[in-house]
Amino acid sequence: MEETFQNLLLGFSVALQPSILVYAFVGCLIGTLVGMMPGLGPLAGISLLLPATFGLNPIIAIVLLAGVYYGAMYGGSTTSILLSIPGEAASVMTCVDGYAMTRNGRAGPALAIAAIGSFIAGTLGVIGLMLLAPTLAEFALRFGPPEYTALLLMGLFILAYMSGGSMLKTLAMAAFGLMLGMIGIDVMSGYTRFSFGVVELGDGVGIVPVAVGLFGVSEILLAAGGTVAPKVQQPKLRDLVPSREEFRLSVGPIARGSLLGFLIGIIPGSAHIISSFVSYGIERRLSRHPERFGQGAIEGVAGPESANNAAASGAFVPMLALGIPTSPVTAVMIAAIMVHGVLPGPMLIQQQPELFWGFVASMYVGNVVLLILNLPMVGLFVNLLRIPYGYLYPCILCFCILGTYAVSNSVIDVWILLAMGGVGYLLRKFRYDLAPVALGLVLAPMIELSLRQSLAMSAGDYGIFLQRPIATTMLGLGGVLILLALKPLVFKGKDWRETVGLEKQG
Amino acid sequence: MGDEPRGGLRSDQFSGLMLLALALYVGWANREYPIGTLQEPGPGYVPLLLAIFLGATGLLIALWGIKSRPLSGIQWPEATRAIAILIACSVATLALERIGYRLTVIVLLVFFLGVLERKRPLPVALVSLGFGFASFYVVGDLLHVPLPRSPWGF
Repeated sequence: MEETFQNLLLGFSVALQPSILVYAFVGCLIGTLVGMMPGLGPLAGISLLLPATFGLNPIIAIVLLAGVYYGAMYGGSTTSILLSIPGEAASVMTCVDGYAMTRNGRAGPALAIAAIGSFIAGTLGVIGLMLLAPTLAEFALRFGPPEYTALLLMGLFILAYMSGGSMLKTLAMAAFGLMLGMIGIDVMSGYTRFSFGVVELGDGVGIVPVAVGLFGVSEILLAAGGTVAPKVQQPKLRDLVPSREEFRLSVGPIARGSLLGFLIGIIPGSAHIISSFVSYGIERRLSRHPERFGQGAIEGVAGPESANNAAASGAFVPMLALGIPTSPVTAVMIAAIMVHGVLPGPMLIQQQPELFWGFVASMYVGNVVLLILNLPMVGLFVNLLRIPYGYLYPCILCFCILGTYAVSNSVIDVWILLAMGGVGYLLRKFRYDLAPVALGLVLAPMIELSLRQSLAMSAGDYGIFLQRPIATTMLGLGGVLILLALKPLVFKGKDWRETVGLEKQG
Repeated sequence: MGDEPRGGLRSDQFSGLMLLALALYVGWANREYPIGTLQEPGPGYVPLLLAIFLGATGLLIALWGIKSRPLSGIQWPEATRAIAILIACSVATLALERIGYRLTVIVLLVFFLGVLERKRPLPVALVSLGFGFASFYVVGDLLHVPLPRSPWGF
């Protein structure tokens, strides 16, 4: 512990140099702006800046890129909360209650709690990284396809808690999302499925056009077309600050989200995306008033945002401790280090302690910079809502088209955006939830691939899921969650049909 | 509530049947791909499972939809403008790689602000030109994201 503390002091001595601080600030600022743009997520931001880091020293390079990464995580939540436009997949859940809070005139507290939760989660994540990196990296290595399948199935089971309405409708939307995820080339066999002759669909349907279309465009179609324009909000200063009750309600979700996000984040792959979905489901399950979720519950913002940011820290564990890129973002960051002649790996800590600990310290500094940068800007962001909706929604639409096109420079993505906007509009008219569609789309390719890989490993024997302790534990946990979700159906007697079917709608 | 018509299709019955129809279509389109076996699933296996699941949930929604509100009870006051917005965006999408990003966005904003929202010409011009140029500068020039230009290089 003493050695770790001394190493951390070494790290801070590096990270607190003026030049490093400037680059951390610049990285966070660019990342925040990039994250606000739907389609330009952290990967795009980091990739765009990578050539600019070639002339910098390795510590500055990685500090800059890490700042972009964190900033993008936070930036995505701003547009989710204010405009119901998820900046990236991990911000989808924030749209649900965050935007509802905005409609209720509580945009300021939502943004503030998102910033504070992100700071706390990021800080706890850095502490976890610093203390547990080698141990957790070994744990992460034990994740193979069976464990991955179990984790993702558990993520699907969480769906049962995500919706306050009909469970049947939730399941139907999850199936719809999973089916959307089937479009594209099947990695195991090479077949191109459901592409209808469109070459670009071989890569599948991206989460950005679907999420932005379902949430952002459908919201505009509903609001802009209404007979009465949405009321212009004129928030006062006291409306920007979370109330004592909101702070109190946020403590638990932030703590749980931080732990959950960090643990999910260390798992190789894109599992960190599900951290916000899992956090939302858990908070809803634990809440004494789950009916508040979807109507502007602060827990629905605090939990997912904290999980999101903690997962970002966790994702660096295998990268730093083992030199293994576990996602496209960490792959680009490893490339940034290697360009400077530094070899990431288990020996990095011994051979380049100032780089390793400087990076860890800069992550903490980056969190502080983000808090300082974004809390005062809450008032600025919320003032966007003063703009009359007649001027606002056309710009938002163009913003969505721009961001979606920027993902892959593909017009097909824009068509998908518009199609999903129309679909989202219809689904909302018929009172279906949209979040399960996004979750299903994200999980589908990963679940199918990991399931088929598992069966390939075991020559078709499904017992492999019971032979691996981690997979068995997660499947067991998922089973318990499903049983708890189904409990009201079994023990409600005459009400079971109404609960599992549809609530009477007036 | 007491005045709701007793007959007629209910909203959930309709939506459930639509989901069932979608599931049947996916099941039919899936016939091209090998299903494989339970031990060795092929590319058509999981889509078929999902189609069956979606069809089942859609059918259940339709069957139990008798308590939902009547289909005729769903109000569509915003439908006309919503369709106009979607059509305008569709035309813009067709034009995007033909006349370039800036011109497309400017024309699209002029339509939304000037025609749909009937704002005054000066604010329309300022917002359209401002957004078109500013967004291109930030995303295209500063962030180096390639955005389409018109045949005239603009």
